[in-house]
Order: sequence, then C-alpha cells, then structure tokens
Amino acid sequence: MKKRSFSAVPPTAGQTISLAKQSEPMRDYALIYINGIRREIRGSEARLSLSDFLRRRLALIGTKIVCSEGDCGACTVLVGRPTEQGLRYLAVDSCIQFLFQLDCTHIVTIEGVAKSGELSSIQQAMIDCNGSQCGFCTPGFVMTMTGMSENDCGMHTESLKYGLTGNLCRCTGYTAIIEAGLSVGNEQQDRLAELYPPAPLLADFAKHEHDDLVLSDGQHRSIRCPQQLAMALQCLADNPQAMIVSGATDIGVRVNKGLQLPDQLIDLNRLDELAHVELVDGKLVIGARASWTAVEAAYRDLVPEFHRVLNVFGAPQIRNVGTMGGNLINASPIADSLPFLHVMEAELELSSTTGKRTVNINNFYQGYKKFDLQPGELLTKITVPLPEATDLLGLYKISRRKDLDISSFTAAIKLRIEGSKIAQAAIAFGAVGPIVLRARATETFLVGREFTEDTMREAGEIAVGEVTPIGDVRGSADYRWQLTRNILVKFFLENQPDAVLV
Amino acid sequence: MPPSVGRSLPHDAAPSHVTGRALFIDDLPQVAGELHVGFVGSPIASGKLLSVDYKQALAIPGVVGCYTAADVGGHNIFGLIVADDPFLAEGEVLYVGQPVVVVAAETPEALAQARRAIKIECEAKPAILTIEQAIRENRFLGPIRRIARGKVDENLAAAQHRLSGTFTSGGQEQFYLESQAAVAYPGEQGQIVVHSSTQNPTEIQAVVAEVLGLGQHQVVCICKRMGGAFGGKESQASIPAIMAALVAQKTGRSARVIYNKDDDMCVTGKRHEYLTRWEVGFNDAGQVLAVRYEFFSNGGATTDLSPSVMERSLLHADNCYYFPNAEFTGKICFTNLPSNTAFRGFGGPQGMAVTENVLESIAQYLGMDSLEVRQANVYGVESRNVTPYGQVVDKNHLPEIFTKLAETSAYKARRTEIEEFNLKSRLQVRGLALTGIKFGISFTTKFLNQGNALVNIYTDGTVQVSTGATEMGQGVNVKIKQLVADEFAIDPSCVIVMATSTEKNINTSPTAASASTDLNGAAAVIACQEIKARLRNFAAEHLADSESGLVASPEHICFEDGHVYDDRQSRVRVPFGQLCDDARRDRVDLGARGFFATPGIDFNRETGRGTPFFYFTQGAAVAEVVIDRLTGEMRVLRSDLLIDIGESINPGIDRGQIIGGYIQGMGWVTNECLVYNDRGELLSHSPTTYKIPAITDIPAVFNLDLFPNADNTHNVASSKAVGEPPLMMALAVWAAAKNALSYINGKAENDLMLPATGEELLRVMTTLTSKTEPANVG
Repeated sequence: MKKRSFSAVPPTAGQTISLAKQSEPMRDYALIYINGIRREIRGSEARLSLSDFLRRRLALIGTKIVCSEGDCGACTVLVGRPTEQGLRYLAVDSCIQFLFQLDCTHIVTIEGVAKSGELSSIQQAMIDCNGSQCGFCTPGFVMTMTGMSENDCGMHTESLKYGLTGNLCRCTGYTAIIEAGLSVGNEQQDRLAELYPPAPLLADFAKHEHDDLVLSDGQHRSIRCPQQLAMALQCLADNPQAMIVSGATDIGVRVNKGLQLPDQLIDLNRLDELAHVELVDGKLVIGARASWTAVEAAYRDLVPEFHRVLNVFGAPQIRNVGTMGGNLINASPIADSLPFLHVMEAELELSSTTGKRTVNINNFYQGYKKFDLQPGELLTKITVPLPEATDLLGLYKISRRKDLDISSFTAAIKLRIEGSKIAQAAIAFGAVGPIVLRARATETFLVGREFTEDTMREAGEIAVGEVTPIGDVRGSADYRWQLTRNILVKFFLENQPDAVLV
Repeated sequence: MPPSVGRSLPHDAAPSHVTGRALFIDDLPQVAGELHVGFVGSPIASGKLLSVDYKQALAIPGVVGCYTAADVGGHNIFGLIVADDPFLAEGEVLYVGQPVVVVAAETPEALAQARRAIKIECEAKPAILTIEQAIRENRFLGPIRRIARGKVDENLAAAQHRLSGTFTSGGQEQFYLESQAAVAYPGEQGQIVVHSSTQNPTEIQAVVAEVLGLGQHQVVCICKRMGGAFGGKESQASIPAIMAALVAQKTGRSARVIYNKDDDMCVTGKRHEYLTRWEVGFNDAGQVLAVRYEFFSNGGATTDLSPSVMERSLLHADNCYYFPNAEFTGKICFTNLPSNTAFRGFGGPQGMAVTENVLESIAQYLGMDSLEVRQANVYGVESRNVTPYGQVVDKNHLPEIFTKLAETSAYKARRTEIEEFNLKSRLQVRGLALTGIKFGISFTTKFLNQGNALVNIYTDGTVQVSTGATEMGQGVNVKIKQLVADEFAIDPSCVIVMATSTEKNINTSPTAASASTDLNGAAAVIACQEIKARLRNFAAEHLADSESGLVASPEHICFEDGHVYDDRQSRVRVPFGQLCDDARRDRVDLGARGFFATPGIDFNRETGRGTPFFYFTQGAAVAEVVIDRLTGEMRVLRSDLLIDIGESINPGIDRGQIIGGYIQGMGWVTNECLVYNDRGELLSHSPTTYKIPAITDIPAVFNLDLFPNADNTHNVASSKAVGEPPLMMALAVWAAAKNALSYINGKAENDLMLPATGEELLRVMTTLTSKTEPANVG
C-alpha cells in the first residue's frame, strides 16, 4: 500500500500518545489562553462566540463585528493550536467560533500582536502606507497579515491578494493595504513565539489535552468534546439528536442570525484522527474533519483543477476551520466541492458504534438537505480517486464575485478521450436543482461520440433538459440554464491546443 | 520645518486604527444600567397598521420598555427637505422593516427575545415596488425638475443620426462597515447627549430635539468618527439616534442602539436606482447636437434627500461633454421601499452613466472608436464651454487630460492588440474605454455652503481645533490639522482635531458633497488668522526694542519653524509656546471661531439656471476588461487614472480617496446588486448575498497620476475636493464592458444595463450571438 501524508495540518503534539482511557480525569472547562493570559471557560459561557467573549467579557473591543457570518473578516483573530513545531497560528473569524471549540488554544487579538506601547512591523506599515481609512476593518487586516507572516506565506502581491480575500474593506480599494504588506516584505521581524514563549503554554496544554472534557451548564445542556473516534461514536449513540460541530462555519452563522444553539452538542475539534489527508493507493483519503486548508494543500499538485476551485472556496479564515465533512453533511446543492466529488465517484465512510459502511456520493443525497445518514452515524472518511492522466477535467464555479462568494452555478466535467472519441463521461451540476445532480442523459449521449464542438453543443442542449434551476438572489433560472448550455462548449474550447486566453 | 500642507502625513487616527484602540460607537464603555435598544419593523411593504402587541415582550425578565409612535406624541414626523419621514410608523406602514416598536432591555439576550415576542398586525395594501409601477400609477414624490437649453426637438429632427433607448442603473448599498449606531446619555435639565455615527451632528441634534419635544440647546450630538458612511449617514443616522434618545429620556438610563448588518441593509436607504429614457441626435463626426433625458429615480417611501439627488443628476447629465441643445427632466418615484438617500456621487453617477452609455452607443453606431466620439464632445477651453444650466466650465483642463491619459495608457496600441485578440479568442472578449468626469463642488442647496471652526491655543502653544466636519475615514481631520499647523508654522503634532460636537460647532452642514475640507478647512484658517492677528500685535510690542530703535510693527512679525520673530531682527526668536504663554499673561484671547461661506454661487431651481458650483474636479480613466464569452464572468485587467485635484493638501490621503472611490464605483458598475422579492423584502442584505469588491477584484495593473494644476486659487490651499469624483471614473469599467460586447456583434445595438454583472453580460451576449451567423457563436 502506497501512503503519503500531507503536512498542511501538522500532526498534533500529543498524537503519538496512545489512546486515552475512560479513566482520564474529567475536566469541566475549556482551557484557553488569550493574549498570553490563561482562562478557564465553564458552563454556559462556553457557548458564547469568541468575538462576544472578547468584546463583552474582556472589553477587547479592537475585534470588530460587521456581518456576523464570516464574510467580512473584521473579527479576525489568530488561533494557535499545538503542533510538533510549537503553536501554529491560523486566522479565523471569531464571530463564528464558539469558545467550546477552542480548548487548548492560544488566541491572539489585535491588542496582543505587539508589546504594549509598541507596534508590530505590519501595524507600522499600515500607518505608513495609508492602509487604514475609517479603521473599522483595519484590525482584521492586521490580524490576517500577521497570520500570513507567522506562516511564512510570503508578502508579494499575489500572496497578499490570496491571503486577504476574506477581509473586506469599503474605503481603501485595497491598494494601500497591499502596499503595506509589500513594504513589510518577507523578512520576518516579529514572531508571536517571541512575544508569547510557547513552552509554558504547550506544557499546560499537554497536561490537559487528554482529559475527558464535558462542558455542562449544570442543568440540561452539555457539550461533549471527545478525543477518540470510539468515544465520539459512543456519545452519538447515547444521544443521536446531538448536533455535531467541527468548524461551525454554518451553525455559527445561523446562531448569530437567531437560531438557538441546540442543547446537546458533540464537538469534534479534539478528534485528530479524523483530521488527516493521506494518499493511499492512488486515492485521497480525507478525514471528515480535515480542514479545507489541509485538503487544498493536498490537491495543489495532485489535481490542480480542483485546487483552483478550492482557492476560491470561502476565504482563508473559513478554510482554516471549515471541514470537508461539514460541507458534505450541510448538503447544500451549491456546495463548491460536490460536483468534483460526484464525477470522481467519491466514497463516503459512515461509522457508528455498530460498524462502518460505505456509500458512493452519487447515492448519498436523496433530496434537498436529505441524505443517507442514519441516527448514530458519523461521516468519518471521504475517499476520492484521482483522475487518470488521460482524463480531461473541468471544474466550474460561477459566482457574482470571483472570491468569497456562494456559487450561482457549479459544474464538473470529466471526459476520457480515446482517439478522437469520448470513451467515458461524467458530468455533475450544482445550483440547478435541489441536489447536485449527475447529468446521466448527457453522459450517455456523449459516450462514443467524436469530441467536437458540435457534439458538446448538442450535449449542452440535452443537459438543459436535465436541470431544474430556480431564480433566486444569486441569479435567474434563465441565467442558470444558459450557463448549463454553454459550459460544455466552454470545456471543449478550453481543451483545444490553440485556445487563446488572457 | 517645511510646511505640512502638501505632505503625505498619515491619517491622524491611523495608530489607533491599527492597534484596535480607535473607539467606534459600540466600543464606548457601557455605563451602569445602560440599556440595549432595538426595534421591530413592519412585516409588510404597504398597509394599515392595525395593532401592536408587546405585552409578552414586557413580561420577559430584563425588558424595560416598548415604545410606539403613540409614546412619541406630535413630533413623530421629520425630514431634511420635506417633513414626511416618520420616526416610528403611525397609521400606515410604508416599507418592510419600517420601525414600529422600539424595545429596551438590560441584556442583548433579553432584547432578542423581546423582539421575537412582539406581534404587529397589519392590513396589507397593494405595494409599489418598482419605478415602472410608480410611473404607471403616477406616484411621484415632489414636482418634476427640469434643466434645458436650446431647441431640442428641432435639432433632434434635423440631426443626421438619431438613437434612443431606455437605460437603467441599479441601486447600491453604502456598505459602511460600522452599521448605524448611537448611544444616548440622559442629563440634567432635560438634556440628552447623543453619540452618533453620523455625517450630520446638527441634524441629529435637531431631530432628537424635535421628536423628544426638547429645545435644541438641550441636545448635544457628538461624533468622534464613523466606520465608513459614504452618504448613508447623512440623513439616515437619525432614526437610530432618536431611538436611543427616546429610551434615555423615558427611562433616565443610557441607551445604546447598534443595528446589525442585516437590519441595517434591510431598513436604510441606498443609492437611487434610475430608469432613464434617452434620445440623442448627432452628426457623422459623432458630435452630439441634441439630447433629451427623462430621469426617473426610485425614491422609496419618503422624500429624504431625493430632490437634491435628482438635482445633481440633472446638473451632471452632461458629464464632461458639451451638448448645444439639451433637455433633462427628473421625477422621483414613490415606492414602498426604505427611502433612498445619499451615496457618494449623490445622483451624479446616475446622470453621468446615461451620457457615457449614449456616447458608447454613438461610437458603436458610427463604427468609431469611442475615444474619438468623446473627444469630439468634450467641453472646450475657449468655446463650447458653457453647461446647459449656464455655468462656464472655467479653467477647463479636460481636453488636455483626455489627450495625456490616452498617451500614458497606450490607448491606441492596446486598441489594436485587443482587436487582434478578439478575432482569435473563442473563449474571451476584451474591451477598452476612456471616460471622463467633471464633478461640481458645492452643495446645490446654497445655504449649506458654510462652515465654522473653533481654534483654541493653550499656553504651551498646542492647539485644539473643532469643526463641523465629521471624520469617516476620508482624512478631513489630518488635512485640517495640516492647514492649522501651517498657519502658525508649528509642527502638526502640536495640533489635534477634536471629535465633532454640536457643543463646539453650531448649525453645521453635513459632511457631504466632497466639500468638508473646503468649508471647514477654510473656516479653521480664518479662525487661525484671527488669532494670528492678535498674536502679531502682541508679538510686535513684545519684540519691540527701544534701545535698538525697533518700533512695534505687526506687519514685520513672522511665524516660522515653531518660532515668532520680527523680520528686522530675525535672530531674536520666541518659541511659539512661550509667546502664547506670554500673550495670555498679557490678556490676549487665544481662541477664535472662524466662519466661511462659499462666495459667488447661486442656482435657481425654477429656471434651472445659475452657477451652482464653486469649481469642478475633473479627471479621466481608462479601463480594460476581459469577459468570458460563455459565462459572462468579467475581470478588470488594467485601469489608468488621471485626475485634477488641484494642489493636494495630503497626496497620501487623496490617493486613498481616489483609489477607494474608484473601486467603490467599480462595485456599483459590476457586481453590486440589490435583489428584492415580490413582497418588497430585500434578499441581498448581508455580504453573503451582496458583493462589494474584494481584494482580488482590483485591476491587475492600476496606475494613478495626479494632473498638475495650481490654478484653483480661490479654494483653500488651492486644493480641490476629492471625496466623490473618483467614484464616477469607474464608469470606464462599465463602458469597457459595453465596448467588449461590440466585438461579439458590432451591428446589433447592445442594451447592456448597469451593473454589468456576469448574468447581465451573459444575457446581452446571448442576445447578440443569436443575431449573428451560427459560425460566430461563442
């Protein structure tokens, strides 16, 4: 068996330690450091969003709230999690992170990026380059850039644009902010490790990370934070109605918009065994809790076409916490990853205390937000074959704005051409019906035909008959029909050797 | 010490911004007992308000009060131009979300629970939701407005060529990041202090007094800063401020209102959507002989600022082009939507967009490059330089700006390259356009063109300045700081511009119309000069030296490098701070109030003629776009901007205004879409569904140059206003998109509307393609 691990998320420090026993000490608080200060979060407080906790309880008002839905980045903070290399800090939207997700982390806010009375080089650059106008988005930009700098993302125009897609600014037109990043350059001056020596924090985390963690409000509400899969499945079996939370990029938004957070929760953030991405026998095996950042890193070289789609999936802050499993179970017909997974015939592993079963993704979804997951079952693994070298693959995400937007239309086209003929065809469309759908009639039409523009044009007309789009805030039904019609021709033209593109 | 004017000092709050220490409304510390205030709005767009039941809400622990129009009394209606804006709905509801009940609670959780528990019963009436429907049903706000000159009918009839059509431009959400917010603190003698995120503290003071039944002397409004405004807080910061003030008055406790983004977007006004019927006659050279535009704006449910917005549309319908015969009329449509309001450009963009569309259509019709058409029509320097309303376009640099920008942007070479590309690429099509702007600076409402400033000097020579200008990120504070520092020849760090307060500056105009530095800066300079005159007299006596025969002579007193001296004995230099201390001991007043009123402007609304503007800010932009022929996705490849902003007080700040305004304009012309359902509910009410430009949307190549120009001598420091004009330079992006589509099918008129979203572009391309031979499809 060929195996290769991807290092987007380094294994956690404690990973080598054998499974904890049920006899591990019980802990009833989340252990969180904020700007170097130790906090124990208990009871119903654990249900607060990080941003509410920062602003309302700690008066750290530098973290700003604009949208409460992870779409503007004004609330960006850094979350440091222990890894073998020390604390690794990633930018997250604090408005859609709950405290209970953050056990054994160090949170750094805008108030904590420099010594009191001093400025970090990024802060200074933002002043010097006129990177702030009204100033409301500024702390978020500083935090995201600090995170980029911590992770050595490189401060050049393209990396800055990529890294800052999750931060909206209405005043500057961004140019001055990019200039600020460029002026800092790649020479690392400030490291959070210098400001917050990691050793004492890591030691404290190591002491506590194997505790059996249950955050209860003392009455009827509780959050279980299992550390092993077996325990997670047992929690679920005990309480099949409990909501599973991992990245919270969806439930976080819904709670901010008025939904009551369910009483019973199972948090998967300590469940490292589901966080890995591995290449096994030519297939990517993705733990359901692997973040999009990890998945993106794995696909960078393996399937650049999918990587390109993942690049415009949410924003870095979202990809750092959002998981593939969450995306699949959220079951939205506009989920960006789904068309690809459909044409690749991805297999989903569903686990429960009674065993495991595997379902092909094409059979998993049954209707709008309806899918084949039984009570007590947890999505644990996604196995995705890689395209063959001879496959032509085209993935399309059409949205109003290129980045950080929800799709108006998605498509995946995979054709295998033998000679001049189409030997195999797999086509999936999203946002044109209640679920992502395979265009079976179109596929059947294509197989055996010459790969020509006329063929693809005809196929487009057939595809139009297979989709059932509606008009909504992201576009009219006519628009979606026209995109369905055109996308196959676009795929053909893109695959011509003389295609002319900017 | 060199003068600070002309230097790129950082924004005065930049160190606070980058450390998170800059306080916005919701960052103000809560005082004991402070209440969280929210509201519940109308569930429907139009109807009779039957009942409001908040009994259950009041029963929730922590809920302190619920208030409706009945609790407000006779002062529930206000308005800047026409008093038709209810604070709380009374009798009828006018739009979805219109505030009906104000709720006050001790915690945000209790407030949220209370809002859910309130029941509002209405009897629905048919709603008017679109401009077309308002036109059909003849529902307009206010009278028709008109500006005209020459013989339009005759010249249209006689023209070699004629085109006509209907053009629509969409609304735009301001999308300031700090939503509407206010905190009110009750005081003695019925006083209320309101901290508001407002461009218009005097208006907040006035409406709070009016609605609460107080004298204006009992209300103080303070605005330290706004987290963006863009016009959206010129009139519409009022309702949240009144809510907070009402609760403070009723309960005697401080009260805080912070709209969340969704509520803010759903219930506050935006840039007016426009529908325009246009008709143009022109000759073979592309020169316009006559135009007629009939503007219809979507005003929303109340008047708000709509008449002034429409006025500016009419005054900018010519954009920067000479139309010998022109008739512009404007009607404001009543609709059951939140009242539309100010947004950067204030009607100017909507007027100018129509003309840029017309010129692009003319070029396409004649098979000319649109730059030639624009150059054939641009205002002249000696002749063809009078606007349809009769103002001379004085000191006009537009022809030069067009020529220079065409050169520096390599317009012609790129045109050739694009044409070659478009012949070859089956997947993409590129377009290029150069458009100009000429934006009139001054409020068109004459009385608003005034400003006052308070300058106080302390005995160490440091200075506090207060003006009516509010800081929303545009950098007015640092510019005023520079002007003041230079008056006394002291270091700018010795000057602080204070929070805007109606206690210090009275009867101020909103921070709007791009004119805040002009008006308030000029007033500050006048105040400084008054103090300087006193200091000169004092210094002359102080430095007089009977032994050396130096007779006191104020004309010889110089302020330089933080010191004061007599230029006949320049080695005796008194530090400025020392002089101030000495002056005080000699009972010299070190404070002054300056007042400025813009001279020489006037406009007659009835005749549509006059000189409404003090001067024009001018410029041009070239944009190049690439569009996916099969999906309609568009990218801006390059933008080149050239703008005349006179002698910049702070080039770093102004650069930020220009680029920021341009990108905001790009949002308006490309991706920003307000989508309503048939019940009048806004569906695009958060950044998930409403897409302002992100960092990846900015042009890959982006050049900005300032046009050197020192001839605007009648304005403060020979500068020119910069706030709004750059937004309209983004019309180049829209025109480039329209130009690109002409390569799909140059023969059929393309009816591209604004914004040019991917969906809109695909719609037009699909239509154009269906009119060509199948071989050319794609």
